[in-house]
Amino acid sequence: MPEPIITATGIHKIYDTGTVKVNALRGVNLTVERGEMVAIMGPSGCGKTTMLNCLSGLDEIESGQVVIDGVVLHDLPDDNRSDYRARNMGFVFQLYNLLPVLSAVENVELPLLVSGVRPAEARTRSMDLLELVGLSDRAQHLPGELSGGQRQRVTIARALVNNPSIVWADEPTGDLDSETASDIMDLMCKLNVENGQSFVLVTHSDDVGKRAHRIVRMRDGTIVDDGNATEA
Amino acid sequence: MEELFGIPMDVIMAILLAAFLPALTGVAIMAWRNRVMLKLGLRNIPRRKSQTGLIVVGIMISTLIMAAAFGTGDSITFSIRKNATDALGPIDQIIFSARADESDTVGSFNYFSLDRYEQLKVELAEFDLVDGLAPGIGEFAPTVNIRTALSEGQMQVTGVDPNSLDGFGRFHLVNGQEINLETLGPGDALINEDAAEELDAQYGDDLVTYVGGLSITFKVQGVVDSGGLAGVGPTLLVRLDRAQEMFERENQINSIAVSNQGGVIDGAEVSDEVTDALRVLFTDREIARDIQTLLNREDVIGELETLRATLTKELAADLAVVTSGLVESVLTDDFIAMLADEDVQEAVLNAVHEAGIGEVGAEVGTLFAGLAEFRVNAIKKQVLEVADQAGSGVTSIFIVMGLFSIMVGVLLIFLIFVMLAAARRSEMGMARAVGAKQRHLVQMFIFEGTAYSLVSGAVGVGLGLGASSIIVFMANRIFQSGGTGAPESFTMFIHFDPRSAVVAYCLGMVITLATVAISAYRVSRLNIVAAVRGLPAPVEQSQIPYNKRLLAPCEALVRPALLFGFGLLALVRMDISKGFGLLVTSAWAAVILPVRLIITIGQAIWVPMSHGWMTMVAGGLFVWIGVASKEVAPLSVGITLVIIGIGLSLRTISYRIGVQADVADRIAYTFMGLVTLMYWILPSSVLRRIFGDTEGGIEMFFISGVAMVAAAVWTVMYNADLLLVVLTYVAKPFGWFRPVVVTAVAYPMAAKFRTGLTLAMFSLVIFTLIVMSILTEAFSSAVGDSEKVAGGWDIQATVNANTPIYDIRTAIDDRPGLDNRDITAIGGYTAFPVEIRQVGAEEQQWRPYGIRVADDQYLKQTGTTLKLIANGYDSPDDVWKAVQKDSNLVVTDSFIVPSRERFGNDEVQFELEGVYFDDAEMEPIDIEVRDPGTGTVIPLTIIAVTDRISDAFGELGRGIIASRKELDSAIPFQIPTTTYRFKVADGVDVPSLSRDLESEFRENGMETDVLSELVDEIAGANRAFNYLFTSFMGLGLMVGIAALGVVSLRAVVERRQQIGVLRAIGYRRGMVQLSFLTESSFVVIMGVAIGVGLGTVISYNIVKDIQEDLETVRFSIPWLQIGIIVAIAYVFSLVTTYMPSRQASRIYPAEALRYE
Repeated sequence: MPEPIITATGIHKIYDTGTVKVNALRGVNLTVERGEMVAIMGPSGCGKTTMLNCLSGLDEIESGQVVIDGVVLHDLPDDNRSDYRARNMGFVFQLYNLLPVLSAVENVELPLLVSGVRPAEARTRSMDLLELVGLSDRAQHLPGELSGGQRQRVTIARALVNNPSIVWADEPTGDLDSETASDIMDLMCKLNVENGQSFVLVTHSDDVGKRAHRIVRMRDGTIVDDGNATEA
Repeated sequence: MEELFGIPMDVIMAILLAAFLPALTGVAIMAWRNRVMLKLGLRNIPRRKSQTGLIVVGIMISTLIMAAAFGTGDSITFSIRKNATDALGPIDQIIFSARADESDTVGSFNYFSLDRYEQLKVELAEFDLVDGLAPGIGEFAPTVNIRTALSEGQMQVTGVDPNSLDGFGRFHLVNGQEINLETLGPGDALINEDAAEELDAQYGDDLVTYVGGLSITFKVQGVVDSGGLAGVGPTLLVRLDRAQEMFERENQINSIAVSNQGGVIDGAEVSDEVTDALRVLFTDREIARDIQTLLNREDVIGELETLRATLTKELAADLAVVTSGLVESVLTDDFIAMLADEDVQEAVLNAVHEAGIGEVGAEVGTLFAGLAEFRVNAIKKQVLEVADQAGSGVTSIFIVMGLFSIMVGVLLIFLIFVMLAAARRSEMGMARAVGAKQRHLVQMFIFEGTAYSLVSGAVGVGLGLGASSIIVFMANRIFQSGGTGAPESFTMFIHFDPRSAVVAYCLGMVITLATVAISAYRVSRLNIVAAVRGLPAPVEQSQIPYNKRLLAPCEALVRPALLFGFGLLALVRMDISKGFGLLVTSAWAAVILPVRLIITIGQAIWVPMSHGWMTMVAGGLFVWIGVASKEVAPLSVGITLVIIGIGLSLRTISYRIGVQADVADRIAYTFMGLVTLMYWILPSSVLRRIFGDTEGGIEMFFISGVAMVAAAVWTVMYNADLLLVVLTYVAKPFGWFRPVVVTAVAYPMAAKFRTGLTLAMFSLVIFTLIVMSILTEAFSSAVGDSEKVAGGWDIQATVNANTPIYDIRTAIDDRPGLDNRDITAIGGYTAFPVEIRQVGAEEQQWRPYGIRVADDQYLKQTGTTLKLIANGYDSPDDVWKAVQKDSNLVVTDSFIVPSRERFGNDEVQFELEGVYFDDAEMEPIDIEVRDPGTGTVIPLTIIAVTDRISDAFGELGRGIIASRKELDSAIPFQIPTTTYRFKVADGVDVPSLSRDLESEFRENGMETDVLSELVDEIAGANRAFNYLFTSFMGLGLMVGIAALGVVSLRAVVERRQQIGVLRAIGYRRGMVQLSFLTESSFVVIMGVAIGVGLGTVISYNIVKDIQEDLETVRFSIPWLQIGIIVAIAYVFSLVTTYMPSRQASRIYPAEALRYE
């Protein structure tokens, strides 16, 4: 039986604006196995992105525990958690969130530099990744000079360049047309299969959901269905 | 302060109010008509309070600098006026004799009969404008307080007639009680507050005064308030008859104080009329008639008429009186009064010279000298004028010094609006999409900018007042430390004229509003789609055809008239509403015509300017103006424009042949930057070789700074990727630091305009501070070289002229506390005023100057450095020997020798012709000096010129140095030695010997100074004033730091999402913070590097230029001071960016990613 890479138990998250308190996550439990691709779906405001942020350590939680590969994430001091993210996680966002002032290859190699990889090696590995996502000829272009699909490919290359065990993707195809979205999903599924990395995707798209091993459905800060994995 | 840069302050205020009030009214009308945009503009202000705070700080700097400059100027004016009026009290003019006889001495006014005073009293009995005449004697005598043993070598002994105090008020003791002079007995005296302080004297003390070898004891009957007849500086007051007895001047006086009708200040307002009336009384009518006869010639009158057109209104009017008086058969009082006026005399002599009748000129010059029996010194009016001039001079200096900071402030306002526009681009795009026009966006920014300006202007005026108070406080401390040349009692008072506040506020507001309007116009021009979608702005071509743009200025010019015409036409056709509407529009078009003309002309020439060819043409025009006028400012600006024109042409050609835009830009801007830099760092000698002698003033400092910094910033900004390679290489060993460097450099390099502006601001400020520091160091070290400054002498001693020492060596032998063996050399001289003119020169007016008649020992032993030696003399030694041998040969100090670099002293009215201080050689120059008292003329020949630094720029002594032999025989009265200089034997304690000399020769009123200490004091004061100026210029640093703060704050807001990404991919909090701090550091370090580098180079050139005048100035870098400036700039910048960077690092990644 495959071992779980993510185990989240009793996660509570409250947004306190000072005047209003919003219970964004209400005791969520979730397990993701190594190499699994999980899609989190649900209506707007149900807490999908919040869950992704909390599971990945981008956000704090009120209570509960997130264990990733045996490490209790929220027990780590902020700096250690940053280091952990740099070495073990990759992120893909809906709006790409590339640094506009860096070229494609510089964006991709940034996580490697953060992890202390030598610059020459970082450049080689980044170029390899860009080749893998089919953008080696656009390596020196700034994000502003690339199309939406190309930017998302650069984001995926950046997410994978560290060879992370988990890739978190928040609406990875949300800003793309259906054809480009399909290409991006093809690429992510291929990398998932070839590298055995776990993928946690937040999406509205049924097409994307269908490509995942399992769909977790959420409503009002709770998981209403987590067991019906769908074969890709 | 009444004037600034020669323009009356009332006129300046009227112009500024005329610019500011309509502008503000215009904004108010716009706001009333468009309240939505007003709300939109104003609601931005409280959105980010810290940002608003920084903006206000940055914007207020112009007003602050103006207010500080005006405040300091006002304080100077007020202080000089107050010191002067306190000192003079009711005295408006002083009358003294213009004729001396053998009984007169150096050091006091010539004596004349008291009967003349009585006669004058009768003559002026009906003259209402004078309400008091006080005859008196004023002499200096050493005085000792027996009780305290304290002495004063230069005690002013004033004899006052108790019966002539009408118009001058009574004497009051310091406790306010009135004291009657009639009650003073022969052994009684009053002392003023200064004397009481100097001698620690009080009622009942016995004071011993030494006069002519006798000692006279006085009992102090009271301490009176200083000022007026009681004088300033230590003064002993006795009855006039007692003073006559003391100085053996029976029935004689040496001055008459005049009090005008009116109070202490308004008495001076009628000074001209009183002076004219007195001059008429004192003029020898026979001589006046001789002058009239000599000058009544067509050629002279013609020249006088021509000359009048070039003179001030007042002087031209005076000259008109002379011209009409010359042809009249009788002598009118007006004519005589004008002839006795020294300014008129100068103008007349100039006219005679122009007429080419030299012999008449010489004769008239001599007649002018004997024209008046008495001289009338309108002392209060003069001092008040000096106060006004000093005030406006100081304000001008501070404003010029502050120009850099004002410039930096303007750049900051521009930068702020560019950034605000970038931040609001999307919402502005939305506004445009839903129907807002471009002018609405301009209005929105103008409303916001006006609100910032109104507040920051008021704060700026307040803080400027505070800054001027600090300057006054610091200046007072410097004055108290001595070495400034100002009187010991001089105190500065804080004073601020409300008119100055209005001018400072309006000036700051006009500058700010103009910058806001220009930047608002620039940022309002956006592409709606690109703005809404957050895409890069496309390169936009103007929609207006070029030929239409060329015609636009003409259209703007005729538009008001056309509208007016159509309006009238409509009214004629009885279309009332349309007619009035058109008339109102026409009026508005006329009001905004100047602005519209500037804009349309700018738009018309923008394209050819940006293509390069017109910039080259404009540059060529400036070069031509510069060469023709021999002014370096237009010449250098022109050459810079030509270089920029070539660079822009290169860019245009590169675009046309298909070179990539970024490559073309890099080539063009690097070319412009490097060649401009090369031009500006050329030594001025190279320019002189090419273009001949050109003249330039302090404005060149500002122009060169702006040009060099702009050039350096272009070069850096368009080649920063190379810098990134270097930095990356440097950061290689620090693995964790590398990604920090990557982002820290990438962001500023991506925003070239913003970074360039910030960099330019920082560089400019650091540049000015470095130049000031290096020049201060160069001058201070030159002035502080006591060996050269004091000519090798160790001690300087002054002796009261009334109690001279006839043989100093014998006198020392007679003093048991002194030993002649301690002193290796003693030289002595006497300084006194003479009148001077150069034989054969164009200018033949006798001008006042000083002469120092020295004994042989002084001439033999002095080590004064000589800058110029006349042909025929081989060495300084040769010169001094010649002066000793031939008493017609003299050496002059540098103040009467003009300089090609215009480095001189404006206080001195006489200037030699045919020789420049920066020349390599000179011919002997024949001059004549005249004793103003007796009119005796002595021919002399100048054979050398001393270095500028000699006698600490004249602080230790000033005037031509001559052998006393000639003067002793030529002048009827005795010339006792009043200044001694001593060289001290090795091993002798100089300060101790100085004290012993002062003590032993107390009865002679000897006061000594250790020259090295005095020189240190002067150098210290010099340095302190320069530090004060440097600190004032450092205000600009505040702007630079505020700019970095604003940039950092904006960066945190703009990059919030990207901060989230960085944190998501593993940046630690510290790395995010460090990245922001490194980004600021990058700008600061680059700014510091550019500022220090360029400042050092330009200072080197300036020092080299000055060395042609002042060889002893040495270029040296004050590392400590530069280190402090750099450290302050760096630390404060980091402190300002610390908060935003900390704020950035504290953002949770998820929160940052959510942000839109």
